[in-house]
Amino acid sequence: MTQEQTQTHPVVEDNAPAIELQDVVKTYNTGGETIDALAGVDLAIEAGEFLAIVGPSGSGKSTLLNILGLLDVPTSGAVRIHDRDVTTLSERERTTARKESIGFVFQDFHLLPSLTATENVCVPTMFDTGRDATGRAEQLLTRVGLGDRLTHTPDELSGGQQQRVAIARALINEPTIVLADEPTGNLDQDTGHTILDEFRRVCDAGVSVIAVTHDEVVTTYADRTIELIDGVIHRG
Amino acid sequence: MARRNLTRNTLRTALAALGVLIGVFAIASLGLFGNILALSASAELGGIGNQLIITPNEDAGVTGLDIRDVDAVTRAVGTDGTAVPLLTTSGLLSASGGQTFGQVYGADNPAALFTAREGTIPDRHRQGAIVGGDVAETLDLRIGSAIEVESSRYRVIAILESEELLTPVNPNSAVILPEAAFAQRSYDQIVVQAQSGESASVIAERVRTQLNSREERVSVFELSSILETIDEFFSLLNQFLLGIAGISLVVAGVSIFNVMLMSTTERRQEIGVLRAVGVQKGDVLRVLLAEAVLLGVIGGLFGALFAGLAAIGLVFIAPIGFDVVLVASNAVYLFGAFVFGVIVCLLSGLYPAYKAATLRPVEALRG
Ligand SMILES: Nc1ncnc2c1ncn2[C@@H]1O[C@H](COP(=O)(O)OP(=O)(O)OP(=O)(O)O)[C@@H](O)[C@H]1O
Ligand SMILES: [Mg+2]
Repeated sequence: MTQEQTQTHPVVEDNAPAIELQDVVKTYNTGGETIDALAGVDLAIEAGEFLAIVGPSGSGKSTLLNILGLLDVPTSGAVRIHDRDVTTLSERERTTARKESIGFVFQDFHLLPSLTATENVCVPTMFDTGRDATGRAEQLLTRVGLGDRLTHTPDELSGGQQQRVAIARALINEPTIVLADEPTGNLDQDTGHTILDEFRRVCDAGVSVIAVTHDEVVTTYADRTIELIDGVIHRG
Repeated sequence: MARRNLTRNTLRTALAALGVLIGVFAIASLGLFGNILALSASAELGGIGNQLIITPNEDAGVTGLDIRDVDAVTRAVGTDGTAVPLLTTSGLLSASGGQTFGQVYGADNPAALFTAREGTIPDRHRQGAIVGGDVAETLDLRIGSAIEVESSRYRVIAILESEELLTPVNPNSAVILPEAAFAQRSYDQIVVQAQSGESASVIAERVRTQLNSREERVSVFELSSILETIDEFFSLLNQFLLGIAGISLVVAGVSIFNVMLMSTTERRQEIGVLRAVGVQKGDVLRVLLAEAVLLGVIGGLFGALFAGLAAIGLVFIAPIGFDVVLVASNAVYLFGAFVFGVIVCLLSGLYPAYKAATLRPVEALRG
């Protein structure tokens, strides 16, 4: 199953979107009160597309990203990755699908402090028996310009470098989609640019990038920007 | 991975391991000490379990044992041991080195009961005095010295080994003379030295049936019954000690529980990241449990090691031989304490690990 998936999905034979949401609704119940974090979202992202999602705080951006990233399930509606309906997968299957198709980049990097850059990049493959991803990890790190920082631990790296390690980690399993929540939120402007350049290159390699951001600069790098207000898409 | 995580917060890990160490040390050492105590006690007392003391039953008006009683006992003993009838009195002992009061036994075959330090104890004791270690020292006696017992002179033919052990007939401050030296012809006691504890109780039974069939002529005292009581006491003591040690391991368990809980809460986001990048629940659980077990193994190994060293150290500060320290049952205590420590770690790591692994990644990531 793992093999089959990784072999078929990087090649886009048909015109199916990399990931697609159909009328996705997410409601939260807190103390008898119901909040519609997402109120019917339709969204399709093509392979190699860089999509920026903006919107006011509390508009449902993180919620949307969590559903796209199979970290959360919609209350109603469907999520499809390459025409495969992943809405009703079990917890375990979702974890596997996540591992195969999706890479994550977080605002505060979330690297494991005790591991070196290379080991951090290998974390998603850590429990694959009989697989040594070190070579690919070093390759990816070199690609993001950290070829000379392979054995550094996170506290020996700058924020921008850490975020590039995180991008390399997101790419280790050759995902079709990379999701980023405020990827430049903790970085200064110049560093932000290098990260966004990195995302651009990722897209050029055929991987879709979806970034949630408050940062106007991100939208200038994006192919498309959508605005989310109160759980509804307004522009895009 | 587990090892890496543990080395990250070295202090906390060290404290948790110390908790396990103390718990395991307590169990292992208290268990060991109790066991060593019991073993060395039975090593010291072991011999008396083979002895029987047969005395006249004064309640039935029997004041002494006559030659027929001795014959009956000898027949009952058969080849399973030796019966030594004793005449007992006490008197003034004097020699050129001074004088002292002491126990005087009359026995024709004392060789079965006593061992000589100097000289030899003859099979048939016809003449001369066999003197206890303390008497020899007080009166400055040697083989061939003269000793006066109640104004009769005897030549010392043997000096007895000083007995530190608890024995029913303690020879240290006694003199053993041939029966012929006594005017009295009724024995005060017959000591039976059997070959083993089992044959001692068999003999006791035979003596009772043969001599006490018509009336309760003699009382038979089995020294093994003391041993049993002592054994019971020691096993009770041991259980008590282990109980205390168990409590300390429970305390260690609570501290491991706390460490695991803290470390998983602290690493909530990390665990969230692991789950997000596609690590299955089961794998997270295994890593966390491996940490707990590793803690237990490290703490347990050192705890058992220190307990073992303490037990060996005991040999040097207490009158205990290596023979009671280096026995298999002690290794069982060490190993048992170690295993118990690891299990306590595993159990107290279970809940925090399970809780962390089953946390929804979205929630874990939010931090
Ligand atoms: N676990 C939850 N339980 C209850 N309500 C939630 C939960 N998560 C999010 N919400 C609610 O859903 C709405 C959308 O939240 P979300 O985190 O998606 O906003 P956001 O657009 O990412 O905001 P920000 O820009 O501040 O990160 C908010 O009103 C929030 O209070
Ligand atoms: Mg958000």
